[in-house]
Amino acid sequence: MRPLTYLAMSAMAAFLLIPVYLMVKISISVPGEVFTQHPTLLIHDVTLDHWRQIVTGGMLWPPLKKSLTVATATALLALALSAPAAYVIARMPRGWKYTTLLILFFTRMFPEVGIALPMAIRFIEWGLFDTNLGLTLAHLVRTLPITAWILVGSFEAIPREIEEAAGVDGAGHGRTLLRVILPLALPGLTVAALFAWLLSWEEFTFAVYLSLASRTLPLQVYYYVYQGNWFLTATYTTIITIPVLILTYALQRYLKAGTLAGAIK
Amino acid sequence: MPFRLGWRGFRGAIDVLFLAPLTLYILGLTLWPVLSTMALSFQDRRSGSFPTLANYQAVVEHFEFWDALYNTLFISVVGLSLELCLGLVMALCLSVPFRGRGVARALMLIPLGVPTIVSAANMRYIFGTVGYLNETLHQLGLLEIPIDWTSGGARTLMAVVAADLWKVTPLVMLILLAGLESIPGELYEAAVTDGAGAWQRFRYVTLPLLKPAITAALIIRGIDAFRIFALPLTLVGRSTPVLSTYTYFEYVDYQNPYTSAASATILLVMILATTIAYLQIAGTEEVIS
Repeated sequence: MRPLTYLAMSAMAAFLLIPVYLMVKISISVPGEVFTQHPTLLIHDVTLDHWRQIVTGGMLWPPLKKSLTVATATALLALALSAPAAYVIARMPRGWKYTTLLILFFTRMFPEVGIALPMAIRFIEWGLFDTNLGLTLAHLVRTLPITAWILVGSFEAIPREIEEAAGVDGAGHGRTLLRVILPLALPGLTVAALFAWLLSWEEFTFAVYLSLASRTLPLQVYYYVYQGNWFLTATYTTIITIPVLILTYALQRYLKAGTLAGAIK
Repeated sequence: MPFRLGWRGFRGAIDVLFLAPLTLYILGLTLWPVLSTMALSFQDRRSGSFPTLANYQAVVEHFEFWDALYNTLFISVVGLSLELCLGLVMALCLSVPFRGRGVARALMLIPLGVPTIVSAANMRYIFGTVGYLNETLHQLGLLEIPIDWTSGGARTLMAVVAADLWKVTPLVMLILLAGLESIPGELYEAAVTDGAGAWQRFRYVTLPLLKPAITAALIIRGIDAFRIFALPLTLVGRSTPVLSTYTYFEYVDYQNPYTSAASATILLVMILATTIAYLQIAGTEEVIS
C-alpha cells in the first residue's frame, strides 16, 4: 500500500504543478524555446523581456489599478453591507437562521450570465458601464452571500452572555456593538474582507459583460489569449496569481466546506 | 422594566435597519436582474409584445444551442464523476498519516490559489497545436502529426473536462476529507473486531457516513459545472459552446439580448430543477452543516 500511495501522490503532484510551472517558465522563456515543433520542458534561456515589456511599457498599471480599486472597494462595501445583517442573522432563532442561510445559498444558483445581461443593458443607460463603480456593484453580487455566510459564523462564535454583561454594566446597544462585539469579530471581518477581495480580483464574467475600454487584469489575460501572445499572457497570469496563492495559503484554515460553498470557483 | 421594553423595541428597529442593506441589495441587484432576464426572454424582439415564445423558438431552432446543451451536460456528468472519484481517492490517501503528508496537502491547495481564467490560459500551453501534450505524446512515439485539441469535437470536450478537473478536484477533495475526518475511529475498530476487511470497511462504514459530504460536493460542484463560463470561453471559445458561453455569444456577437435571455432562463431552470430534485432526494440539512 505504502509505495502505491507515494506513486499516486507523485503523479498527483506532477499533475498539479505542471500547468503552474509552465506559466512561470513561459513568462521568462525566449520565444524560440516555446513556439517550436518541439517545445522544451526545462528552462534553457532565461529572458526578462516579457516582464520588462509589461512593467515598463505602461501596460500594467491601468488594468492593475482598476483591479486593485474594484477589489478593494468590493471588500469594504461587502463588509459594510453584510456585517450588520450577519450580526442579526447570527442572533436569530435556529429555524430563521437556517432559512436565511439557505436563501443566501440559493442566490448562488443563478447563472451569472443571466444576472450580467440586464445589468449590462441598464448600466449603459445609467452611465455605469465600463466604470469602476459599476463593476464593484456587480462584484458585490457574488461576494455578499459569501461574506454574509462567513460573518454569521464568526458572530455566532461570540457568546451572547458577553453582550448581556456589557448591557448590565450600563453600556448602550451602540456602545456594546462598537466596543465589545466589533473587536471580537475583527478576525472574522478580516477573513471575510480578504475573501471578498479575492473574489473580485479574479472575477471574469461580470468584468467581460460590463467593460469595454478599461480592462481588469483577468480581462487583459483574455485579450492576450485571443491575440495568441503566450508570453504576455503568461506574465499577466503570473502577476494575477501571486496574491491569490499567498492569500489562499494564508486563509487555508478557514477553507471550511461551508465557506467553500461558493468562495472558490 | 420600561427601560428593558424600550431597549427591545429599539433593538427591533435596529435589526430591521441592519438587515435592510443586504436584503435590498440582493433584491435589487440579484433577484431583479434574474427576473428581468426572464421577462426579456418572453418579449418579442421587434414588436416588443409580451409574452411570446418567439425567442425560445429561435433558440431551439439554432443548432449551436443543442451543441451547447449537449456540451454542458457532457462536461457536467463526465466532469463530476471524474472529480468525485479522483477527489475521493485523494482524500482517502491524505486521510492516513504518512511522511510528507503536510507537503502533499499544501500541493493540493495550488489549484485553489490559481484563478479560473489563469488556469484556462495555462491549459492552452498544454492543449495547443504546439502544446506540451502533443510534445509529450510525440516523445513517447504515440503521435506523428500534431493535433489541435481545442478545435472542437469529443477531444475538445475532454480537454475542457481535464482543465476543469485540474482546477476543482482539490475543492472536492477538501470537502470529502473534512467528511472523512469527522468519521469516528472507533467505528473502524469495531468493524475490524467484527472481522470486516478493507473493502467492507469502506463499503459499510466510510461510504454511508460520507454521504453528507458527497451530497455537498455534488451540489456545489454541480451548480458550477452547469454554469461553467470563463474556462470554456478562454480555452476553446466558439468551437465548443456551453450554455453560458452560448448565452454570451448571443448577446455580444449576435447583439440579441432576447435570445440570450431565453438561453439564460433555460440554464437557470436546469440548475434549479436539478438542485431541487437532488435536495428532495438527499435532504437539505446536509448541505448547510
